[in-house]
Amino acid sequence: MTFASGRHSSRYGLRQACRAEWAKVFSIRSTWWTLFVTVVGTLVVTALSASSAAHHRPGWYQGFDPTNQSMSGLAIGALAIGVLGAVVFTSEYGSGTIRSSMAATPRRLKFLLAKLLVVGAVALAVGEGLTFSCFALGHAILGSSLVPPWSLTDPGVLRAVVGSGVTIGLLGLMGAAIGAAVRRTAGAIGIYVALLFLLPLLLTKMPGNLARFTPLIIIANSIAAVVRQTGFVSPVVGFVLFACYTVAIILLGAVVVTRRDP
Amino acid sequence: MISVNSLTKQFGNARAVSNLSFEVVPGVVTGFLGPNGSGKSTTMRTIMGLDTPTSGTALVNGKPYRELNWPLREVGALLDANAVHPARTAYSHLRCLAYTNDIPLARVDEVLGIVGLTDVANKRAGKFSLGMGQRFGMAGALLGDPSVLLFDEPVNGLDPEGIRWVRNLLRGLAAEGRAVFVSSHLISEMALTADRLVVIGRGALIADTTVRDFTALNGPDSVRVVTPDVQSFAAAVRRAGGEVDLVPDDAVAVRGMTSAAVGELVARERLIVHELTPVRASLEDAFMELTRDAVEYRSGGSTEAALIGSGGEGEL
Repeated sequence: MTFASGRHSSRYGLRQACRAEWAKVFSIRSTWWTLFVTVVGTLVVTALSASSAAHHRPGWYQGFDPTNQSMSGLAIGALAIGVLGAVVFTSEYGSGTIRSSMAATPRRLKFLLAKLLVVGAVALAVGEGLTFSCFALGHAILGSSLVPPWSLTDPGVLRAVVGSGVTIGLLGLMGAAIGAAVRRTAGAIGIYVALLFLLPLLLTKMPGNLARFTPLIIIANSIAAVVRQTGFVSPVVGFVLFACYTVAIILLGAVVVTRRDP
Repeated sequence: MISVNSLTKQFGNARAVSNLSFEVVPGVVTGFLGPNGSGKSTTMRTIMGLDTPTSGTALVNGKPYRELNWPLREVGALLDANAVHPARTAYSHLRCLAYTNDIPLARVDEVLGIVGLTDVANKRAGKFSLGMGQRFGMAGALLGDPSVLLFDEPVNGLDPEGIRWVRNLLRGLAAEGRAVFVSSHLISEMALTADRLVVIGRGALIADTTVRDFTALNGPDSVRVVTPDVQSFAAAVRRAGGEVDLVPDDAVAVRGMTSAAVGELVARERLIVHELTPVRASLEDAFMELTRDAVEYRSGGSTEAALIGSGGEGEL
């Protein structure tokens, strides 16, 4: 007697799991709200920040970095994208959906990987969309004729815009991995916010200038900077550090997901 | 089919499941009976690969759950009807599950029809009543058209009509040749639904038998008699070799004689009887008898027994 349908691809895999996770992310309204807040919040802050830097006397623009100024709104985007990532896991643990998910995809690393791929793809797309929009908005407000020249073809500008978008993608992954490890929405968001905003504040009070190694400072002063600033790490070092943080947190999430039963 | 072999699950110091072995075979409903906190849910979660066994195995169709090629097409489970994101619609939830195991989306509509939720397919699951939630959980279990089905307390919180619906559904699924495993702490419900019984207490097996044998072995049948002349009747029964007990409502219970024998005795002795009813021993009596024995046995001794006693179910 056969009950299963006749299709015979050998077994469930990443493709099936990703398809399901993609459908999950976009079948709840809160995703759209979070994305809305991410986009609007980021653009509003960039608009305000750029406006405050517009129409000054020429001397004011000594050492000014218009690309960096245009990326100001990313602080909001960084916060929101991490929350989005965290909730992808914590909402499953909170509602109990995690058990039907893991019954459907019992290989836990496969399950985790599918979720991370989906979150990463969404966050990266949102990140690049945001940074290019911020850049365009900055141009519209500040005008194109500033020093240093800041079209996308000028040195360092494209790197700053694309690189900043990538960090938003990585922050989405960090949020998701923290969510996988912590399981509770409030706890996960708390830890994420602490990592992003509280940690650099604490570290600036301490000797050693360690704040420059924290994620948000790396974005603001290394990756999104075209004019190299003293006292901060280079874009390449910043990017490597950022990637290492992301991998470390993902490994932590993977250990918890495989070791601790849902 | 499901085969659980020497399964033990330890949570810290508490042993939720202790060296448990049994099989769930196709074509019948196997009831999983035990008091609250006896390890039923833990056992089911372990079968589903959600809990990792401390030792022993739980196999589905010969494999650990995590190694099944298409888990949802082989096993369907309702472990917790609330395990649904409240903001997602019924249809979306099932669609996401369908994607994971390459189940055609037409099947989503089909199972929603089977459980009678077609009209609320686009309603958010969080708005469902308790009964709708249970039906929805059933739809999830049936989604992959699996040959093995697990239901953890499926009638919890259902009204009589819903309970009857679940009973018929489970019996229908078994009649189609599927292995159906259903847990309950409601003994009367199991008496009506199950063919076989796996009874556990404090995580250990107490009985693995058919419903009929279980009651026959553990609670003798009796005959309920109402008579205006209890003394003469009791004397007559004792002469005939039976036993008489007083039971509530001015009736007596006769043991050791069939209802036919009691009737013939009454005619022979020219006694007056207002009521004569054969009483089947209840599954409940048998269950209480057995679990009481288990408790006595356990409290008889070692520190291990004391640890087992503190074992919780790890309630969700």
